[in-house]
Amino acid sequence: MNRAQLVIPFFSRLPPIVWALLLTVAFGALYNPQFRTVDNAMNVLEQSATLAFLALGQAFVIAGGLIDLSVGQLVGLVTVVACMGFEAFPGWGLPVILGCLLLGAVVGAINGTLINRLRMPPLILTFGMLSVLQGCIFMLTDRSVGSSIPAIDFIAHGRITGIPASLILVVIATVIAFYCLQRSTFGWHLLAMGNSASAARKAGLNVRGLALNAYVISGLFAGIAGLVLAGRLGTGFPNAGVGLELDSIVAVVLGGTPLKGGRVNVVAILAAVLFLGTISNLLNLMQVPTFTQILIKGIIVILAILLERPRWAAAPQ
Amino acid sequence: MTFLKSMLTATMAAIAVFVLTGSGTAQELDLTKESTYDQILEWANEPLDTSQYKKDGKLKIGVSAGYLSNAWINFTAQMIKYEASLHPEIEEIKITDAGFNPTKQAADIDDLLTSGVDAILFWPVDEKAIMPALKKAHDQGVVTINIGYNFMRDPSVTSNAYVNQWGYTEQVVDQFIDSLDGKGKIIAMLPIAGSSAAVVQLAVLEQKLKDYPDMELLSAEYGDWDRAKAKQLTENLLQRFPQIDGAFSPAGQMSMGIYEAFDEAGRLDELTLSPGDDYNGWVKLVANEGKWGSVTSGLEVGRAAVQQAVDILTGAQTTTAIVVPTRYLAPEEAKELHEPDRPDDWFKTDLPAEYLPQ
Amino acid sequence: MSASALAKRPLLSRHLLDKAAVWIVLLILLIAAGFVSEAFLKLNYLGNLVRQAAPIGITAVGVTFVMILRGVDLSVGAIVSMSAVVCALVMDGKAENLWLAIGVTCATGSLIGLANGLLIAYGRVSSFILTLGMSIVVYGLVQMGTGGTARGIVSPGFREFLNDRIGNVVPTLAICFVIAVVVGIFLQSQTRFGRNVYLVGANPHSARLAGIPAVQTTVIAYCVSGLFAGLGGIALLARTGVSGTNPGAGMEFDVLAAVILGGTTFAGGRGGVGSTFAGVLVLFIALNLANVAGLPFAAQLTIKGIIIIAASAAHAWIGRSGGDRTE
Repeated sequence: MNRAQLVIPFFSRLPPIVWALLLTVAFGALYNPQFRTVDNAMNVLEQSATLAFLALGQAFVIAGGLIDLSVGQLVGLVTVVACMGFEAFPGWGLPVILGCLLLGAVVGAINGTLINRLRMPPLILTFGMLSVLQGCIFMLTDRSVGSSIPAIDFIAHGRITGIPASLILVVIATVIAFYCLQRSTFGWHLLAMGNSASAARKAGLNVRGLALNAYVISGLFAGIAGLVLAGRLGTGFPNAGVGLELDSIVAVVLGGTPLKGGRVNVVAILAAVLFLGTISNLLNLMQVPTFTQILIKGIIVILAILLERPRWAAAPQ
Repeated sequence: MTFLKSMLTATMAAIAVFVLTGSGTAQELDLTKESTYDQILEWANEPLDTSQYKKDGKLKIGVSAGYLSNAWINFTAQMIKYEASLHPEIEEIKITDAGFNPTKQAADIDDLLTSGVDAILFWPVDEKAIMPALKKAHDQGVVTINIGYNFMRDPSVTSNAYVNQWGYTEQVVDQFIDSLDGKGKIIAMLPIAGSSAAVVQLAVLEQKLKDYPDMELLSAEYGDWDRAKAKQLTENLLQRFPQIDGAFSPAGQMSMGIYEAFDEAGRLDELTLSPGDDYNGWVKLVANEGKWGSVTSGLEVGRAAVQQAVDILTGAQTTTAIVVPTRYLAPEEAKELHEPDRPDDWFKTDLPAEYLPQ
Repeated sequence: MSASALAKRPLLSRHLLDKAAVWIVLLILLIAAGFVSEAFLKLNYLGNLVRQAAPIGITAVGVTFVMILRGVDLSVGAIVSMSAVVCALVMDGKAENLWLAIGVTCATGSLIGLANGLLIAYGRVSSFILTLGMSIVVYGLVQMGTGGTARGIVSPGFREFLNDRIGNVVPTLAICFVIAVVVGIFLQSQTRFGRNVYLVGANPHSARLAGIPAVQTTVIAYCVSGLFAGLGGIALLARTGVSGTNPGAGMEFDVLAAVILGGTTFAGGRGGVGSTFAGVLVLFIALNLANVAGLPFAAQLTIKGIIIIAASAAHAWIGRSGGDRTE
C-alpha cells in the first residue's frame, strides 16, 4: 500500500469545515493571547467531549437517512440514572456504568423497532420519544440528584500526561466510528440505505435491521455522552440534555453530512464539534456580549448549511 | 425480540430500584426547615479571613450568569456593572451567559479563569452541577461569590451575597394570611418545579398553614415565573374549584396572570392575592387596586456582591456572607415603587439613566 | 403509476378517513372529558379552551402550509417572541399606534418567513436546520434589541377588546383563532397557491415537470408561516400582556405536535388547516384533562409524547391500509 496514495487525496479533499476550524484556531491564536495557551486548548477539547460522542452517534442515524431527536433527553436520563445509581450502590460503579450504556442502547432499540413496526417518519417518532423521555426524567427527579464517582470524574476532567482523558476516549470512538461507517460493509449498506431506501431494499439489504442497528448505536453513544456529562457536572441534573439533540444534528450537518443521508465524513464531524466549541470559547474570551454570541451562532448555522450546499444539493426526487 | 424485551425489563427494574433506594441523600442544607436559615444567618456573621485573597493593583471581575433572559436578572446584572463603575480599582468586568445550561456555565467559568479574573460572581443554573468548575476556580486562588437563590456552604465558594428566601416568603405569607383573616380555600402559584425557590415557598406556606386549621391549600401549581403559564393554570383551577378565596403568589409576574384569569372568569371579587414582589407590572396593579402590597425582592444583591468582592480582594474586613434584607410594603407605600410610564417588565431602581437596560 | 392509483376508488375513502380521523378523536376525547368533568361540556369553558389555544393555534395554521410541502418551520417560536416584543414596543402605550404596531408586526413576521423561504427555495437546503438557525438568529436579535427586558407597553383598549367575551360567552380571541383558520382554509382550497402547495408537496419532481412554480410556492408558504406566527405573537400579547423577551420559547414544538396530530405529516401533500384546527384542540383538551385530573407535570410530558407517536402511527396506518403507496 502506497502511503502517498492515501494521504494526498485526503488533504486535497479536506472538508471545508476543517478549513473553518483551522482558520478559527489560527485567528484566535494570532489575536488572543489567552486563547493560545495549552491549558485553554485542553479546556476546549474537554468541553467538547459530550457533544462529540453525541454527534458520532447521530452520524450513524443521519448517514442512513434517518434522524434521532431523542438523544438530548436520553443524555439527560442517563446522567440522572447514572448519578442516582452511583449513590445508591456504592462500590458498584462498573455495573451501573454498564447499566447506563444498556439503557442507552435499549432506548435506541425501542426507537428503531417502533420506526420499523409502525412505519412512521423518524422525525416524528423520535420527537415523541423526546417528550416521553423528558417525562421519565421528571418522574425520577425534579432536581439535581446523586453524585458522580471518581472513575467517571476522571474520564470527564482527568488528564493523562497533560492530555484530557475524555479526548483520548473521543479519539478512540472516532476511529471506531470511522471504521464502522466508512470502511466496513455495515457502513456501506447504511450509506446505501441513506442514498435510497427503496433501492437498498430492492438490492436485498435488510433495511429494517440497518435502521435498528443505527438507532442502537446512536443510543449507545448517547449513553456514553450521558456518563461523561455526569462526570462533568458531578450530579444528575434533570435538564442536562435540553437542546443537545439539535446541537448534535447541527454538528453532523456542519460536518458535511446531508440530512438525507448517503454520505458521511466522521473526521469532518469531529472537526465540526471542535469548531462549535472553539467559536464559543473564542467569543467568550474576546468578550463579545452574550446576546451577540447567540446571533453569531445562528448565522454560523445558516451560513454553514448554505455553503455546504454544492456538495450535496441534489434535486429533490 | 425476546432479547430486547428482557433487556427492557431489566432496565426498568434497575430504574425502579434506583428510585426506591437512591433519591436525595446528598442534600447539604435542608431548605424546608426554618432552622436551616437561622444557621445561615449565623454563618453569615462569621468573620472571613481575606488575607489569602489580597491583591495589589487593578482588579478583574468575572460574572457567570446562569441566565440573563429575565428582567430581574437583567437589572441585577446592570446593578453589578453600575457598582463596578464606582470602584476605580476595577479595571474590567466581564459577563458570560449560560442560557440555563449548566454544561455551558461550567465552560464559561473555565473561560473566565483563562482570561485571568480575580473574582467570579455567579448565579448557578444548578448549584451542584457547577461545583467541579468552582473547585477549579478556588484551587487557582480566585474568589467565588454566589448570588443565586440558595446559600452555598462549601470550601470552593468564598462568599455569598444572599437574599433570605425564608424571610422573604414569611413576609409574604404572614401578610396573606392576615388579609384572609386566617380562613378560606387557597391555591399556590410557585416558580419552576424543583427550583429551590419553589421548594422554599411551599415549605414556608405549609408550615404557617399548620396554625390555621380554617385554611385549606387546594392545589399548588408551578407557573415557571411565566405570566402566560400562571394564567392558563389558574384558568384550569377556576374550572376545577367552584370556590377559591385566595391565591398565594410571591412572584408579581405570575400574580398578574392569576389576576387576569379571575377577572376574565368574572370571579375577581372572590380573590385575595398575597403580596407580590417589586415587579413593575405588579406594582402598577397594586397602585390601581389599592390592596395586596409588595415585598421588596432584594435587587441590591448585585451591588452587595461587587462590594464584597472588592472588600475581599483588597483585604478589608468582612463576613462570610452579605445578607440583603427584604421588607413588606403596604399598598400605599408600594405605590411609591411603581413607575407608571415604564413597561410591566421593569423594576424601579436608583440606577442612573446610562445603566438602565438600553 | 399515479394515474392508475388515482383511478382506484379506495383511495378516496382512505383520504376521507385520513381527514376524519382527527375529528373522530376530538369527539371521543370531548365525550371522555365530559365524563371526567362536566365543565368540558359547557360552552363557556370550551370558549376558554379555544382562547387558550389561540396563540399556538394561529401559528399552527401557517406552519401547516410549510409541512404540506414536506418542510418544517422551527423558527415560529422565535418569531412569536419577536412579534410580541416588537408589537408592544411600537404600541408604546398609545392607542393611536395600535394599527401601526399590528402592521409592523405582521411585516416583521412575513419578512423573516420570506428570508426562510428564499434561503430554502434557492439554496435548496434542509428546512429543519435552516429554520433552526433562523430561530437562533431571531432570538439573538430580540435579546440584543431589548437587552433582556421587554420594554413595550400595550395600547389601552387592545387587551381589553381581545379578552372580552361577545355576548358574555364567546371570547373575542377564540373568534380571532377561528377567523385565522377560515382564512387558512380559504388560502388552501380557493387559491392557486393552495393547490400548488398540495401538488408540490405530493410530488415535487412531477409538479415541476408540470410547470408548477415550485420555488415561488415554497417562498410564499414560508412567508405565510411567518405571517401567521406574527399574528400568533399578537394573540399571545393580547392574552398575557408583556411578559419577558422570550414568551414564545419552545412554542415551535407544541405547534409541530398539533400539526402532526392533525395529520399533516412529513409525507407531503397530505393534511390541511382544518385538521390542524382539530389537532390543536385535541392537544389542548388532552393537556387540560391531565391538568384537571391533577396529573403531575412529568406525566403530562409523557402523555404528550405518546399522543404524538400514536397519532402519527395511526395516520401512517390509515395511509397504508387503503392504498398501495410506495415510499
